[in-house]
Amino acid sequence: MKRRVKTMIGSKNCDDPVIDYKSTEYLEKFLTPQGQILSRRRTGFCTQCQKQLKSAIKRARHVGLLPFVG
Amino acid sequence: MTQTYETMVLLDNDVVRQDWKKAKAIVTDTVAKYGGGLDCCRRWDERRLAYPMKRKNRATFYLAYHDMPGDKIPGFLRDLELNESVLRYLMVRVDETPEEERKLAAEEDGAEYTVPEPPDDDLIEIPEEDETDSATDVDIPAEIPAEASATAPDPVKEG
Repeated sequence: MKRRVKTMIGSKNCDDPVIDYKSTEYLEKFLTPQGQILSRRRTGFCTQCQKQLKSAIKRARHVGLLPFVG
Repeated sequence: MTQTYETMVLLDNDVVRQDWKKAKAIVTDTVAKYGGGLDCCRRWDERRLAYPMKRKNRATFYLAYHDMPGDKIPGFLRDLELNESVLRYLMVRVDETPEEERKLAAEEDGAEYTVPEPPDDDLIEIPEEDETDSATDVDIPAEIPAEASATAPDPVKEG
């Protein structure tokens, strides 16, 4: 049985623009349709960038820019 | 040493419609009250919220960069919390004010800038309950008081 290959959304080198809670269009790329944050394996971020992404998404959720669910 | 902070405040659109200067003053006056130095501030956006807050679907996002003594911050946040015109706020620490924000804030301070009118669909409509289905309209027979029923004479059969 072939293992399903999942594509990475982020770049491996983390050369993306600065992760900010106000750039909602960028952050939406790292959410599932249910609103969950994608894993590091899917995003391709390093530890530090994944942490920045997590806090940015949580901040955006707090101010109502991103949904908690859905 | 004071630190620079970025404060995002969600303002009620009703206040923005009434008077934009008054809405702005909610943030600027509170920062000044607690000894903060306002670097720049501007209307970031007006948009639909991802989920309702205080029964509102939309809000005006106001972004301010300022410094503030550390011991004054709890009071500042409490004032924002108690203000009914503030739907929500977020205060984060930043290294310095972005240059782009300064430019955008300067543009907004110009005389030519006018605040766009927020759309009217910011209130959540709550469906009214149908009165015919309510339990209050059902005819309930009046109860006979216990004393009255005990003292009432027995019906006499005539004829």
